[in-house]
Amino acid sequence: MQTLQLLLSGLAQGLIYALLAFGYNVTFATSRTFNFALGTYLTFGGVVGVVLYMNHGVPFPLVLLAVLLCGALGGFILEKVAIQPSLKTRSSYNWILATLAVGIVLRNAIEVFWSTDDFKLRSPIGDDPLRFDGVGIFPQEILIILSTVAIVVAVEVFKQKTIFGKAVQAVSEDRDTASLMGINQGYVIRVSFMLSSAMACFAGLLVGPVTLVSATMGTVLGVKAYAVSIIGGLESSYGVLVGGALLGLSESLTARYISTGYRDIPGFILLILVLLLRPSGLFGRATVQKF
Amino acid sequence: MTATSARKSLPARLKALLPLLLLLPLALPFVADNPYYFGLICRVLVYAMLVASLDLVVGYIGDVSIGHAGFFAIGAYAVAVLTAQPALNGDAAITWFPMVPFPVALIPAVLLAALAGLVLGFPALRSTGPYLAVITIAYGFIIFTVINESETITNGTRGISLPALEFAGKKLRGANYLFVVYPVLVLVLFAVRNVARSFWGRAFEAIKYSAVAAACAGISRTRFKLSAFVLSAALAGLAGGFFAQLDSYVAPNTFSYNFSIEFLIALIFGGVRSVAGNLIGAGVIVVLPDLFASFSDYRLMVFGTLLLVVLFFLPEGLAGVVRKLVRRLTKSDLEAARLALAARAAGLAPIEAPPPSDLPALQLDGLTMMFGGLTAVNELSLKLGAGRVLGLIGPNGSGKSTTVNLLTGVYLPTRGTLSIFGEDLTRMQTFERASRGIARTFQNLQLFGQLTALENVLAGMHRSFKSSLLQVALRTPAARREEEAAQAHAYALLDFVGLGAQAYELASNLAYGQARRLEIARALAQRPRLLLLDEPAAGLTTAEIEEISHLIGRIKQSGITVLLIEHHMDMVMAVSDDVVVLDFGKKIAEGLPQGIQSNPAVIEAYLGSHPTARAAGAGEGAPL
Repeated sequence: MQTLQLLLSGLAQGLIYALLAFGYNVTFATSRTFNFALGTYLTFGGVVGVVLYMNHGVPFPLVLLAVLLCGALGGFILEKVAIQPSLKTRSSYNWILATLAVGIVLRNAIEVFWSTDDFKLRSPIGDDPLRFDGVGIFPQEILIILSTVAIVVAVEVFKQKTIFGKAVQAVSEDRDTASLMGINQGYVIRVSFMLSSAMACFAGLLVGPVTLVSATMGTVLGVKAYAVSIIGGLESSYGVLVGGALLGLSESLTARYISTGYRDIPGFILLILVLLLRPSGLFGRATVQKF
Repeated sequence: MTATSARKSLPARLKALLPLLLLLPLALPFVADNPYYFGLICRVLVYAMLVASLDLVVGYIGDVSIGHAGFFAIGAYAVAVLTAQPALNGDAAITWFPMVPFPVALIPAVLLAALAGLVLGFPALRSTGPYLAVITIAYGFIIFTVINESETITNGTRGISLPALEFAGKKLRGANYLFVVYPVLVLVLFAVRNVARSFWGRAFEAIKYSAVAAACAGISRTRFKLSAFVLSAALAGLAGGFFAQLDSYVAPNTFSYNFSIEFLIALIFGGVRSVAGNLIGAGVIVVLPDLFASFSDYRLMVFGTLLLVVLFFLPEGLAGVVRKLVRRLTKSDLEAARLALAARAAGLAPIEAPPPSDLPALQLDGLTMMFGGLTAVNELSLKLGAGRVLGLIGPNGSGKSTTVNLLTGVYLPTRGTLSIFGEDLTRMQTFERASRGIARTFQNLQLFGQLTALENVLAGMHRSFKSSLLQVALRTPAARREEEAAQAHAYALLDFVGLGAQAYELASNLAYGQARRLEIARALAQRPRLLLLDEPAAGLTTAEIEEISHLIGRIKQSGITVLLIEHHMDMVMAVSDDVVVLDFGKKIAEGLPQGIQSNPAVIEAYLGSHPTARAAGAGEGAPL
């Protein structure tokens, strides 16, 4: 019975990684870049949640809205100051450094202007575990699992079925040609970054009640989400769900049966092994270069 | 480049004395004695070593590493564990105190870090960009966790305290530590700079700008990329070793993910590919937080903002700004340097004739290449006699470029064999084929953009360099002579293709026609027996095509066999001895140029079988 609890909380943790990883994928699809600071955006979402929900008692739907708006705004700014100039230089790694830079500015700002302490965030659907036959399950964990799957599926369906989705795919295939076809590639990229950041902030709101909210909560989460994104393949949406679940479960099992100190290791080793065997991830496509 | 030429404009006597300036900082401890500032200076020096090591991977190889704190930690912990004494770590969980002397402990520190670098190098061979960046992060985390958790060796989060170094009864702390660190730093930066400016550095950068062109020039990506990672990690380990003694204390929290990021920032601030930049960058991250005590809380906000500014407004970092100023002040004269080089190159034969051979220069038997269901090259057989020029033509998509890629080993054939001068090369790796005398140019230019024209040609000569890494690092007279001779020869080759005046121009700044000729010069630098020219006239004006035709004629005269792939009929007909025509991957005709032009199968392949089209095809020399 304990194993079931273990698996469920591992899965919930893993799907938080998956949601963040999906945030990387969304922008990678449009611009071949992603926000290395997405973990800090997760922190930001958690902080906004604590400030509004815990400190000011704002009703949860409004908190949710505010968090999403903050995320979208953050994505907009990041795209303006870090991504656009990097895409212009066409340097292969400027965007990595530029987004890292935005991340450390944001994290440092949170530390200086907010706090370096840990804060509790109450779950909107209750913090008491539901009891089923001796198994205690936190409702928030169920919420995490359901919302992540719902978001990934919704975005994927949107991409397949709508004209905007087609535009995203076109930009992802070939930016310049898409732009010749009359697709405003700058707009598509900007929206993808706003969406990605809003998802990250939402992830902060989701994970807050399970962990605690602090200025550094997103750093390691962000790093593990890179791992998930890359294990799943940066171009595969459902791959992140599989990768996230794998990583989350491996962590909770390692923590339980080996040592808490080593819980991060299997995931990272898995990442390295996957990339050694399949350089574009488990579900990624290999590209053929022409000379 | 500029620094050397600037120095040459000073009187020779002064120039010889310049290195003595390097001794100056060693006098500092005699004139000042504030241990705090000496601590800072030593920290800058140790960090500069780490930044220089990061530069090898980021600046020269072009891969972002966010895990260098890991290598640094390995070095620091190797020294800490090996030199720690029980007296200073009374309540520690450590069970093993080998108490090795510091200089001896540095050896395993460097070797262990180098080994870790080798382990990182393998995934780096397969992945690049964001994929590799994430792997480096994972490495950093794994090393961090292992150190944190191995309490019986590392004392876990509580860290290890170290005894101060002693020499002749004096403690080497504070100001005195400068005597230890400074000479090592000078030596390290000297070696890094020498390696970076040698054929090693060019090999690193060639791989960065075009892995395929580097391989075709005989540069083994595996060897040089792994070497760069191993060298970089070893250097980071060395820096870590000295870091352990800096505070006489190490704890795992120092070597976090943020530490790796701070060093990336330092590298970019200072400017990549520059040892001066490495020093400046290390200085900035150490001194800025120290100047303003309250600033240390805001430090990352300021660093992050500065990083954005430097990335987009000063792509060469602060060192780039300094370099520009120095260049203006000393009025260093590239033109004079070029003329001096031209004088040395005068009279050198640009091309050494390959030994004559009765064997066919190139022989293909049933060569077939399939991509999934598509047969790009179908049962191609041909024979090319040594010293001849063969024109390979065919409409778009007929398999010409695939053939070149098969010949150079960029693709491996599905079936069939290929041999040059009687040696079977079917399965040989690209960079090895270069040593068998195959060189090529690329249809879509593959120059090493941020290297000068001269350096591009020198990269082509890569295989002719014989100096060892140690000789190069120490810049021994033999290594220097070899480099100088190579430069003269490279200049002669540039002159041969008419680019002497552009020797010091960056390849990316060359006009299109010049870039095409530079590719030919780089290929010739490999001393090929068989030269593959993949559409050398594509996109050129009529006058430029004339020049290229003339150039091919001169190459043929020197005895090199040429396989010319081209669309411009005039040119093919004018310079080829034989012509082979491909269509849908199959050979449809072969023979003398005159015969080919009237061959009905060829006309049909190019123009279709409509009667009017056939009539048009009869008009000779239409650029098909």
